[in-house]
Amino acid sequence: MNPLPQELLRGTYKEGFHDDIKPIHQVPKGASHEVIDYMCDVKDEPDWMREFRHRSLDLFRKQQLPDWLPGLRDIDYDAITYYASPVEKSARKWEDVPEEIRRTYDKLGIAKEEQKLLGGLGAQIDSEMAYHNIQETLAKKGVVFLSCDDGMKQYPEIFRAHFAQAIPPEDNKFAALNSAFWSGGSFVYIPKGVKCDVPLSVYFRINAEQFGQFERTLIVVDDDAFCHYVEGCSAPIYTTHSLHAAVVEIFVKDRARCRYTTIQNWSTDVYNLVTKRSFLYKNAVMEWVDGNLGSKRTVKYPSCYMMGEGAHGEVLSLASADKGMWQDAGAKMVFFAPNCTGRINSKSLSGHGGRSSYRGLVQVRDGAKNCRVQVNCDALILDEKSRSDTYPTMEVDGDLATVEHEASVSNVSEEQLFYLMSRGIKKEDAVSMIVNGFIEPIVKELPMEFAVEINRLINLQMEGSVG
Amino acid sequence: MNRQLAWQTYEKLPAPQRRDVEWQRFDLRALNLTGIAKRPQSVRVTLTGAPGVTLRPLDEDPHLGQSVPADEPHKFAALNAALWQHGALLHVPAGHKTDRPVAITYEVTGENVTAFPRTLVVVEPGAEATLVQRFTGQATGLHAAVTEVFVKEGGRLHYISQQNFENGILDFTLKRAHVARDAEIDWVVGMFGGALTRYDVECVMDGEGGTSFMYGIGAADHRQQFGQFTRQHHRTGHTTSDLLFKNVLRDAARTNYAGLIKVEKNANGTNAYQSNRNLVLSDKVKCDTRPILEIESNQLRCTHGATVGRPDAEQLYYLQTRGLSKEQATNVLIEAFLEPVLARIRVPAVYEEFQQLVRQKTIR
Repeated sequence: MNPLPQELLRGTYKEGFHDDIKPIHQVPKGASHEVIDYMCDVKDEPDWMREFRHRSLDLFRKQQLPDWLPGLRDIDYDAITYYASPVEKSARKWEDVPEEIRRTYDKLGIAKEEQKLLGGLGAQIDSEMAYHNIQETLAKKGVVFLSCDDGMKQYPEIFRAHFAQAIPPEDNKFAALNSAFWSGGSFVYIPKGVKCDVPLSVYFRINAEQFGQFERTLIVVDDDAFCHYVEGCSAPIYTTHSLHAAVVEIFVKDRARCRYTTIQNWSTDVYNLVTKRSFLYKNAVMEWVDGNLGSKRTVKYPSCYMMGEGAHGEVLSLASADKGMWQDAGAKMVFFAPNCTGRINSKSLSGHGGRSSYRGLVQVRDGAKNCRVQVNCDALILDEKSRSDTYPTMEVDGDLATVEHEASVSNVSEEQLFYLMSRGIKKEDAVSMIVNGFIEPIVKELPMEFAVEINRLINLQMEGSVG
Repeated sequence: MNRQLAWQTYEKLPAPQRRDVEWQRFDLRALNLTGIAKRPQSVRVTLTGAPGVTLRPLDEDPHLGQSVPADEPHKFAALNAALWQHGALLHVPAGHKTDRPVAITYEVTGENVTAFPRTLVVVEPGAEATLVQRFTGQATGLHAAVTEVFVKEGGRLHYISQQNFENGILDFTLKRAHVARDAEIDWVVGMFGGALTRYDVECVMDGEGGTSFMYGIGAADHRQQFGQFTRQHHRTGHTTSDLLFKNVLRDAARTNYAGLIKVEKNANGTNAYQSNRNLVLSDKVKCDTRPILEIESNQLRCTHGATVGRPDAEQLYYLQTRGLSKEQATNVLIEAFLEPVLARIRVPAVYEEFQQLVRQKTIR
């Protein structure tokens, strides 16, 4: 596909600027064992991690893309830079962040957010975390919120017990790629019984051109604890492609609860290929709130693996595909334990020739008795150039399970439009109201600031889509 | 039909393998295709016609292969095209309306035999007909059938198809109907027999105002494996398709439903519905369902649903409080579950036949 004309995007994608930031470390293009050795030396990593990375790269080269995942064959893995770091180490205070990076984040309005509503904030640029800080009150309770690299060094026991346990490099091609070149991301540990009631937030930014960002996030929510983690992302608009292949592993222990909110707003030259998986233990609750508004192609299916009895998983997914985008989003629920429940609620919009796909998997394995899962997907197509697909798979072994799936695809109803317009509302405003009503069940689950942002982004995408 | 081309197509297409998505949870060990062309074919065709319609053994016809050609990318349809010897042609002339059902019965018997029956149905403009197609017999081996249906402008076809082989045979069947302007097909498919039975049931909506009702029943027990691949292809706008496939699974049965609604660009005014419901009665069954939508048009309404579940505990309890045993209550619920499909059969004798088959297979 040809890159999008710049003038079309400039008006709508306000994060599309790029700053000249000189990397301190940068490696030659291409995925090679030399790059891994360079990274391990720079990061001063233990030997087991070096071996793990090398093994993962071999796996990446061996693994094939599955047949059901089209449109990714044209990624040129050798044209991508796998590690670039404009900072030496992540700062605790904004003043210590190099000035040109601070400027970038000021433009994005990230620092302002921290004082307002966050318990902790991390900011990653290219391969490394430039900033990572947490409120003192939370730190005193024992909440750990570090970059993933620091987590490995400062909490080696917790780290090694969980790292790559939910998503081993064998899992898929992009998980292997991430395992080989991971850098940055967050390490979160919430101790037993601690309720971390203000969100921890991380913002990911790609600044370099033809870059591969491979952040790795590991969240462990111990027994009876609670955590809300929020991530956002953006990148400049180039004419070449960048690759973002993150891995997020979450362990929600007995009776604990975790909520993970993503607002993905990459520019339309980023391939966003992310593996996100949570393991839920006895009576644990996991909620994924997944908003996909940008990128050239997103492939992301947040997953809940029910490992302990009585667990409950929930995925709220919102995808909006504008011109040049293909949102291949969805969810997975896999039941290994009895009496578990799950719910997937997906809403997608496609306009200006964009394509939204829901791809989901519900698997009830032998021994998972008495499980219930409900899937709802609704899609709205805004014009005749756009496309919407639904690819759900349900595999049930044994009985005592109840699996339900419902989906609908439609356009903005003439009747609803007519009703609103007969009340004196302009057509564009009427469409906007209908769309906002359509996504409302997901948007209301977002923190206020994000909800406002989502509405703004969706309204921008919809401009001129009704004619 | 170009049998040479069909055979080449058959040879070119890969044999089913467990690593293909559509076969991934099937046990394919019983499938043996070596020397398939040399094995004896055993099919007995019985035709019961009606006044004013042509029903005869199939030979050449301009419509033959127009829907499922020799190079159809479906391994078993290509095999059928290459090797078929037995078949039937139903031709309903323009404007001719009859409610006397026409029946085509294919009986397959013998050990390790092959059967490649081919059916061609042409309903000319404004005509109306009812077709009952049966596949039956006690045999082991391989059965690959193709049915091509054309319902022309304003025509109507009530098409009931029933497969009730003894359990030894492997059955691969492709049925495709083309529905023209203002035409209608009202379709009921029953799957009861076969060790491994794969049905591809497809409608192609070719003309505005066309309607397709596709209803199916699968009753699987013991170690039976059923695959149901349905396709509602809306090539033209202002067309309607409605699909409901219901399965009852007992013992260690295995079903795999995969349905696709495909709405082409500019097929505005499409109204499509697709539903797969599965009732599970044992903890050893495996039941997969993949209802898929691919939509490239925006003036439409398209919905689908799929469920896998056991008999509703509350309903069971209610019936038991009325004095029914648990088994009786379950049986009532099974019949109630399948009734919406059975009720689509408008020929009373065939309705009863289906009811009998359902009872034999599901009620214990």
